[in-house]
Amino acid sequence: MINKYTWIVLKKELTDIFRDKKTLITSILIPILVFPIMAFVIGMGTDKFIDDSSQDISIAIISEEESKLESFIRDHEGINVVAPDNPEEALSELDIKAIIKIPQGVDQQIENDEMPDIEILYDSTSTNSDSARSRVAGIIGEYSQSIVFNRLEELGIDPQVLNPISVSSTPIANQDEDAGLGIMILSMLLPLMLTVWAAVGGIPAATDLGAGEKERQTLEPLLTTRANRLSLLMGKYFAVVIAAIMGTIAALIGFGIAGKINPNFMGTGSGMPLKSAVAVGILCIGLALVFSALELAISFFARSFKEAQTYLSPLTIVVMLPAYLTMYLDGKEIPEYFFHIPLVNTIAVIKESIVLVFNIQHILIVSGWTILYIALALFLTVKMFNKESVMFRS
Amino acid sequence: MIQVKNLSKSFKKVDAVTNISFEVKKGVVFGLLGENGAGKTTTLRMLATMLKPTNGTAIVDGIDLLQHPEKVRGLIGILFGGETGLYDRLTARENITYFGLLNGMEKLEIERRIEEISNMLDMNEYLDRRAGKFSKGMKQKVSIARSIIHDPDIMLFDEPTSGLDVTSIRVVHEFIRRLKEQGKTIVFSSHSMNEVEKLCDEVGIIHKGEIVEVATIKELREKYEDMELEDIFVKLVGGKK
Ligand SMILES: Nc1ncnc2c1ncn2[C@@H]1O[C@H](COP(=O)(O)OP(=O)(O)OP(=O)(O)O)[C@@H](O)[C@H]1O
Ligand SMILES: [Mg+2]
Repeated sequence: MINKYTWIVLKKELTDIFRDKKTLITSILIPILVFPIMAFVIGMGTDKFIDDSSQDISIAIISEEESKLESFIRDHEGINVVAPDNPEEALSELDIKAIIKIPQGVDQQIENDEMPDIEILYDSTSTNSDSARSRVAGIIGEYSQSIVFNRLEELGIDPQVLNPISVSSTPIANQDEDAGLGIMILSMLLPLMLTVWAAVGGIPAATDLGAGEKERQTLEPLLTTRANRLSLLMGKYFAVVIAAIMGTIAALIGFGIAGKINPNFMGTGSGMPLKSAVAVGILCIGLALVFSALELAISFFARSFKEAQTYLSPLTIVVMLPAYLTMYLDGKEIPEYFFHIPLVNTIAVIKESIVLVFNIQHILIVSGWTILYIALALFLTVKMFNKESVMFRS
Repeated sequence: MIQVKNLSKSFKKVDAVTNISFEVKKGVVFGLLGENGAGKTTTLRMLATMLKPTNGTAIVDGIDLLQHPEKVRGLIGILFGGETGLYDRLTARENITYFGLLNGMEKLEIERRIEEISNMLDMNEYLDRRAGKFSKGMKQKVSIARSIIHDPDIMLFDEPTSGLDVTSIRVVHEFIRRLKEQGKTIVFSSHSMNEVEKLCDEVGIIHKGEIVEVATIKELREKYEDMELEDIFVKLVGGKK
């Protein structure tokens, strides 16, 4: 079944695949790029938000005299007080984000328990200016709170009376707080990516190696060589499998790069134990073995290259459907029967691994099923390849 | 060299070939003449072991093709159809080498043989270029080279000139003549009287899956009193209708 002819075919087919720019782009380049681009786009949104709030905000202060309030604001971290010639114009240019107008004699007014009126000018059409306003208002609020505390202490009252209830929230999962978002993305995307690429990564190769061979009329000379049929078929099969696995690995590399660009992307996924990673890897290769056989069978069944493409493209949807439907499935509460549904069972094990569950029983069940699927799929392919009415119809 | 014994092939409903027998001696060019759907391709595919006969068998150089199909395949080369394809992303040399390897040849032997064939067919210039951009004529020569890389004793041609232009037809005819000079045994199907008359020593006329006549061109002429081959064919086939 597997002999020197298998290797000759495999080597030739891989050479052929690697010289095909279209296949290289769809099977390797795109999976490598998709996730880093996603990470970058997601990262841009959140990072910018973080950046702006951590950057110093430029404001101007309009006042007649020195005051304690003004120095409190000036000394506050993250505030950069500048003195432009024309503050209002600088604000409209957004060179400064807000202007604080402090009335005369503010310290005195506070001392006298009067309520001084502090005015903040900002540009309501600019989100940055708006957030500068709330920042500044917050700072003034802090100042006013410190005054309240002082007054209460002077009256001999514990300032804690102002906080009848103390609220504190702690995330209970044993992860650092940032990981939440990462887990979400990872748990949704990783199963989708791994299963879809393992399953459909071989399609371009399968189309060419089956229907393409028929259409080119190279199948007849091929079948008239010394090599026996099964060894030819196996060579082609392994070539398709390798193409599918390469696509999956490319996607994983892309995922790794994405994690580097935006650590949120990976969450605790990077902490997945080796044994889980190995189990997931083997199951995905299993998936590639199943689908490559099916794709090759369909491709041989088709009369022409076009027909093969028509039959094979819906396969992508068939594969994506369970991945989508289980997108929000929580890895910690997967119903038992999920481990017996084709494709869904592999996704289920990946989901578990992401939330750091390693359930050997589940893995064994899914492995058992996968071996059965491979056997069935291969059986079908061999049958198809030996079926004269299919191979020689026109 | 080839003894066809009661060979039959039926697909689900169609009896494509029914109980045909003929013999082709070593060094002879045998023409299978028949209309569309007569069963020529099916017969040649069975001889090439691509299809399993429903009944009967053929003995090729003493080997029963049912018992040792791989051995038989090692002895034969095929050129089926006028426009046979190549692997576009492989060079001409790689295309040919692939089939050499699959016929169990050693790398060095293949190299030597490619040089020989390339000189013969005048294809040195594009031997190491990718086949995708070749003209029809160039592709055809590569297909020819591919079919004889393992120097088979027997060649099977199935309508090798269909769909080709005059120049390409000449290349194929020239190639068949050269093989004949080398003493190869050739089975060659066609629906063109002219072609068969020009190239063949013997003819088998096949109609609706049955052989209706096997004879040398000369015998046919004598038997049918110098009628044109075309008329003989019409008479034989017409009588069956
Ligand atoms: N794979 C197949 N499945 C079903 N029927 C087939 C198959 N191959 C050939 N046939 C049928 O068998 C008969 C003989 O076909 P075959 O191709 O051998 O004829 P042919 O002489 O080569 O014709 P042509 O000149 O058109 O090439 C036809 O009726 C054809 O429809
Ligand atoms: Mg035919």
